This record gives sequence, C-alpha cells and structure tokens, in this order.
Amino acid sequence: MKEIRLTTPLSGELMTTVRLTTGGVCSVAGLSMDDSEDCKVCVTESLLLLMHRGYNAAQIAFTVENGLGVEIEGQNKTERESAGQEDEISAAILCALAENAVLEKKDGELCRITFRFGLQA
Amino acid sequence: MNDGELFAAYRATGDIKIRNEIVEKYLYIASVLAKKFVGRGVEYDDLYQVASLALLKGVDRFDETKGVQFSTFITPTITGEIKNYFRDRSRLVHLPRRVAELRISMKRAAEEITKETGKRPSAKEIAERLGVSEEEILRCAEAGGVVSLDNSPDRDSDGMSFHEVLPAVDDVFEEVDNRDAVNSALKTLTEEELALVRYRFGAELSQVETAKRMGVSQMNVSRMERKILQKLKVTLAKSLVE
Repeated sequence: MKEIRLTTPLSGELMTTVRLTTGGVCSVAGLSMDDSEDCKVCVTESLLLLMHRGYNAAQIAFTVENGLGVEIEGQNKTERESAGQEDEISAAILCALAENAVLEKKDGELCRITFRFGLQA
Repeated sequence: MNDGELFAAYRATGDIKIRNEIVEKYLYIASVLAKKFVGRGVEYDDLYQVASLALLKGVDRFDETKGVQFSTFITPTITGEIKNYFRDRSRLVHLPRRVAELRISMKRAAEEITKETGKRPSAKEIAERLGVSEEEILRCAEAGGVVSLDNSPDRDSDGMSFHEVLPAVDDVFEEVDNRDAVNSALKTLTEEELALVRYRFGAELSQVETAKRMGVSQMNVSRMERKILQKLKVTLAKSLVE
C-alpha cells in the first residue's frame, strides 16, 4: 500500500496542479486512462464543493491499494461562498463516476468526500 | 407551471412544445457537463451535442411521480452517455493525432514567443497563445518527444536499448490489407459523404464546423455520420468474410 498526501490552498489557479498530480497518482495505481480522467474530474468537483462551502484549503489523501482510494477533507473554514445548482451537479457527477462516493457532513455541513476507483478486471 | 406540472402535462399530452420548454430549462446542465469533460480529445461542440441528446431522451424517460428532482436524475444519465461516447469512439481516433499536432503547435508557439519577448515562455503563455488549457499543454509536454531506439529505456538497465525491448510492430502485410479494405469501403460513399469523412476524420473538425463547411445543419451532419459509419461497417464486415 502506498499513501500520498497533498495539502493545497483552494484556489482556481492550483486546480491544474492538483489535476496533474492526480493523473500521476492514478498512473502509479495502474488505473486505465478513462478512470484516471474520471478520477481527475471527481477530485476537481470535490475541491469545488469544499471551496463553495467556505473552505480555504484541503488535504487530499490518495491510497494506492487494489486501485485508488481518495479522501478529501476541507480545512480552514471561513464564510460560506455559495452553494448553487452547480453544487448539486458536482455531487451527482461524483456519484456517477466514482465507486462508493460518500459526502460526509459535520454539523449539517459538508466536510469530507471519499471515493475510490478500482482496477478493472 | 412548475417542474412537476410540466412533466405531468407532457406525459398526458405528448406535446412537443412542452418537451422543448423542459429541455430549454435544463439545457444548462448539458452545457455544464460537456465543459467538465473537455480536454479528453473531443471538442466541446460534440460533447454538448451528445449531452443535449441525452437530455432529450432523459425527458422522455423521467418519471416525476417518483419524487426525484429532474436535475438529480439527468446528471448521471448525461454523464453516462458522455462516457459511452468516449468509450465508443473518441480516444482511439482522436487523441494520438491531436497530441502529435498540439506538440508541433506548442513548439512553434514557443519559438514565436521567445522571439517576441526574448525569454522562454511558460506553459500558461503557450496555452494562451494556442487557445487551449494549460493542463493540456503540460500533459502534451509530458507525453514525450522523439527518442532514439538506440537509447536505453532506463538508467539502471543493463545496456539494453528500446530497439531490443520493444515488441515487434504489427504485421505490415496485415496493415496493407486493412488499408485496402478501408479504401474499397470508401469507394462505396457518395461525394458528399466522402467530404464529410474528410472534414470529420481527416481534418478532425467538430460537427458544427463540418456543418458550416458543408452548408447543412449540425443535426444533418450527425445523421449522415451515423449512416456513413454504418455503411462502412457493413462493407468492411463483408470484405472480411470474403
């Protein structure tokens, strides 16, 4: 098992860096190109969801074991930005693309998102 | 009318006007989702069309009495259709060529910017110049350039070259056979159909661009394309049997 952790401020300009890192980790995990692209979409959507809830940073923990597990936790919460219709779409995309996507709440607010991508037989 | 009433009215009457009203109301979801999948070698226009068609189908399938919001129902439906589209055709046909072309454009743009500014450009500057995302530039750069077959694949290897470790190329004769079969199949197409094939698979234009060049609607291009692919499939299947 390999664990890779990335802590990042939640800002638009760092999304590319996060997506590229995610792509690299997906490759280490042996995911297919399609799953890697889907995983990148899921990580981006998760970060957007946290950003819209006022988190200023997030820690992403990738666990490489029979595929890839991803856990994204919001950090340093301030005022909520906005949570419009696009957030609903983001959550639905996560559930459509990843296995076992879970959006955990604390005191009624989203705080952590987990999902995984398994290896295809 | 609210959503529930709109769907109930459409279900009861089958009135296309009501269906169109629903589709127009939710077309933004098709647009949002299409944008999320851009950068995988398929243009936004094509993805938007796939998403819009999925939305149209979704309106017919949605059951408002089940207590689920339409947006909740339609997002995975459209996402699934987009993924099917990728799986069926995009990657094998478009990506390698697009990457190769983008690498050439990147090199040219980098030289131009260096000439203009006197310093080596960043990925962001090249992306802005070419009108593509910064990520696409970085991924393309990562895809690697031309490497000598005499080079060693890694530093620790025991002197083996790429030439020695890479698998043999596919049978050249088989490749010639395949090319002949495709050429013969293409001869069964009309001039207009051939033009479409050239625009879509030669120049890799989007359906919208192809429609503009051919002076027809995008829907027409989509229908023609489906018909052509079916025709080619049948012809090629026959030639394989023979």
